[in-house]
Amino acid sequence: MTVHTVPTWLRWSWVIPAAFLAVFLLYPLTVLAVTVTSQTSGGLLAALTAPSLWLVAVLAAVQAAASTLLALILGLPLANVVSRYRFRGRALAQALVTVPFVLPTVVVGLAFRSLFGSGLPQGFWLVVLAHAYVNLAVVARIVGAQWAQHSGDYENVARTLGATRWRAFVDVTLPSLRSAIVASAAIVFVFSFTSLGIVLLLGDATTRTLESQILRQTSVILDFPGAAATAIVQLLVVTLVLLLGAAAARRSPTRRSAPLDLRPMPASVTGRIAVRATAALGALVVLAPVLALVLASLRGARGWTLGWWTSLGSIDAGTTRLGPPLDAIGISVAYALATAVVAAIVGGLAALTAVSSGRARVVALVAIIPLGVSAATIGLGTLLAFGRPPFDLRASGLLIPIAHALVAVPLVVAVAAPGLRSTDTRLAAVAATLGARPTRAFWTAYGTVIRVVMLASAALAGAVSLGEFGAAAFLGRATDPTVPVQIVRLLGRPGEQSLGVAAALAVVLVAVTLILVLIVDRWGSTERRQHRERALS
Amino acid sequence: MRHRTAAHTISRTTSVAVIALVTATVLAACGGQESAAPETSTVRLLAHDSFVVSEDLIAELKADTGITLEILSGSDAGTMVAGAVLAAGSPTADVMFGIDNTLLSRALDASVFEAYTSPELGSVVPALREDTGGGFVTPIDYGDVCINIDNAAMDAVGVPAPTTLDDLIDPRYRDLLVVQDPGTSSPGLAFLLATIARYGDGWPEYWSALRENGVSVAGSWTDAYYGEFSGGGEGTRPLVVSYATSPPAEIVYAEEPKPTTPSTSVMTDGCYRQVEYAGVLAGTANPAGARTVVDWLLSEQVQADVPLSMFVFPAREGVALPEVFTAFAATVDEPLSLPADEVAANLQAWLAEWGTAMGR
Repeated sequence: MTVHTVPTWLRWSWVIPAAFLAVFLLYPLTVLAVTVTSQTSGGLLAALTAPSLWLVAVLAAVQAAASTLLALILGLPLANVVSRYRFRGRALAQALVTVPFVLPTVVVGLAFRSLFGSGLPQGFWLVVLAHAYVNLAVVARIVGAQWAQHSGDYENVARTLGATRWRAFVDVTLPSLRSAIVASAAIVFVFSFTSLGIVLLLGDATTRTLESQILRQTSVILDFPGAAATAIVQLLVVTLVLLLGAAAARRSPTRRSAPLDLRPMPASVTGRIAVRATAALGALVVLAPVLALVLASLRGARGWTLGWWTSLGSIDAGTTRLGPPLDAIGISVAYALATAVVAAIVGGLAALTAVSSGRARVVALVAIIPLGVSAATIGLGTLLAFGRPPFDLRASGLLIPIAHALVAVPLVVAVAAPGLRSTDTRLAAVAATLGARPTRAFWTAYGTVIRVVMLASAALAGAVSLGEFGAAAFLGRATDPTVPVQIVRLLGRPGEQSLGVAAALAVVLVAVTLILVLIVDRWGSTERRQHRERALS
Repeated sequence: MRHRTAAHTISRTTSVAVIALVTATVLAACGGQESAAPETSTVRLLAHDSFVVSEDLIAELKADTGITLEILSGSDAGTMVAGAVLAAGSPTADVMFGIDNTLLSRALDASVFEAYTSPELGSVVPALREDTGGGFVTPIDYGDVCINIDNAAMDAVGVPAPTTLDDLIDPRYRDLLVVQDPGTSSPGLAFLLATIARYGDGWPEYWSALRENGVSVAGSWTDAYYGEFSGGGEGTRPLVVSYATSPPAEIVYAEEPKPTTPSTSVMTDGCYRQVEYAGVLAGTANPAGARTVVDWLLSEQVQADVPLSMFVFPAREGVALPEVFTAFAATVDEPLSLPADEVAANLQAWLAEWGTAMGR
């Protein structure tokens, strides 16, 4: 049906993402696999059949399922309110939702500790709560992007025909959001299933993940066959979940729609209160740990102090003896921008394959697989492939944005694909019948969606980079730490200054994230408005 | 004609000279690269997260030897060593610092290092001088993992601070101790090794007793110290596994005006000694520069910088310690330790056994 409106170049959009994944994912993994098998003889099969491995997998799956459910319960109302209604503070609320996603896990862990005290039982539920908190942005952003395009006309029809509000929601709204909900649920599940920092900080014996097992196996006992077996199981489970998610998303009906403008607040008083209350509650949930950080950044052994904030500019308070802690902000922002550009291009092109016909669609599926490759595996593989001759990229500073982009690309695909798939292609057909060339026709239909979706996903990719710790600590230069690396190093030594400066730096990280996301969101809404104006004229 | 011939001859001579000069320059440049003349070489130092050295020392190294030091971050020591073991023979750096005695034999087995005996080795304290992994690494610093005590919180409990490992399983100290998971934390592993060194085959019973006495197991030092230890932040437990040098760090990283005494102290029994080494990575393109950096790490200036940069003790003999160290860092007279090869051979089994003892 869309054959006439698909420009030729679109058929080749898979080349760049495929090349990126081949060079920066498959090649490093191959180098790692060859190295490990050449150094160790056997042991892989024995490790794969160890019952303890599968027990951890099952426990992690139960934990991830609970985390996903809670993230959806908390995230869906937020997605509805924040991405659809026009009210004062909406942009801020939308940006705030992204904050938990960028907080380094060690910071989230300590903030949860200080919020819930030592009185709360450790373990399963605290981990689930923290995972739901961190992944709010994934649900709110991915589902919100689709919900924003949902006009609500069909619900009105259903209501006129006598359906209750709930029935209309369940029978009309939910099915039309299904692909986004499933896509975000799959990602939250995968993030929770492969979680490391939060599990180490807040977990107990029952809340181990395969990722924490891999850390133990590589970094403590140097059991590489065991680690390889664990990494393989993790990759299998994650790939299975992502494929199931993609299949479910594909089966769901997608209503063709164009991006819509934000709607006015509901007419009824209760409706308005509900919208405001949801947004406020969401902001409160997001901000509670941040407030704990703000307090920690202002408290010393002798009461309130601004000392930790002024120390941000002092070399002595840093961990490098070369520059003050604040230097890390510039480094992190530079990596985040580079990651956003790389991930938006690679992920965007991969997502485009999802709307093109033919076998190239596979790339959109393959592009989400890096989520399942354990971080330690990616780190070691990248180090062996690109950290030494003949391909020594370490000095170039490129390894970190590349590693971050690998994590971000799947998110970009997840954000972009549902929006692209549900775009009204009739516009392109109309343009084509009016004599537009395929590229022009394609741009008429997809232009705005692509720009809006690319901006949203670039913001998410930047957020991934801002909060990432493992790759930055493993592939970087010790002399230019990112903010999370600086924070983790500060929290790795005693002294109230270490804790206070780390908290202040985390608050700065939150502020930087908010500013970046606000800028990108504003840009996106300008695009939408211009599109609407063009459509009206 | 004569002129022409002369001119011709001159121009030929000039060309030959130019060619010779160019050739000589190119050869010299190539030769310079191959022999890594110290005048302009860069040495990549792979170090763990906690490695810190003052900027002026790096500048001094450059001024004295021409070496530009590039410090690569290897994350925590364990992850760094894992990467080095996999890259053995074709390394990602020229020299590695920060591998400790629990990990050393794994790296030696994988031939990570090139043999090198630093001329500075003679200046190392006698106890560590022989500790070179058979001539492959050089001890740079050492520290002790010990139980730390939050003095005020301990007083509030109303029992005297514990003085031995045995005290920790005394019901008087129920629910007071937080340790780290030895499977994910370096001090946690050191504490497990301390109990193995002390109790021999009876160590699982000791841990069962600790468990019955309400020990809490945190995932990392950060979580234990700032999350559960009362002396670090929000926690409630007055006893934590940390370092003998944590009390001076509490003073150095305190708000001005600095307190005159630390709020924490150290139990000097049951401490496990960690020694950190540096070594030239086998297969480095710049072995000469790498050796110079090992010597530099053991030089008097860098060794004097080590205490306040990394909160460990210098391996070099006779280095003056900062006052905050001499006053408040605990001196451990009889640290516990285990032979590196014994640790390497048994670690996996010990961790599994520990898991069983702790019901994990």
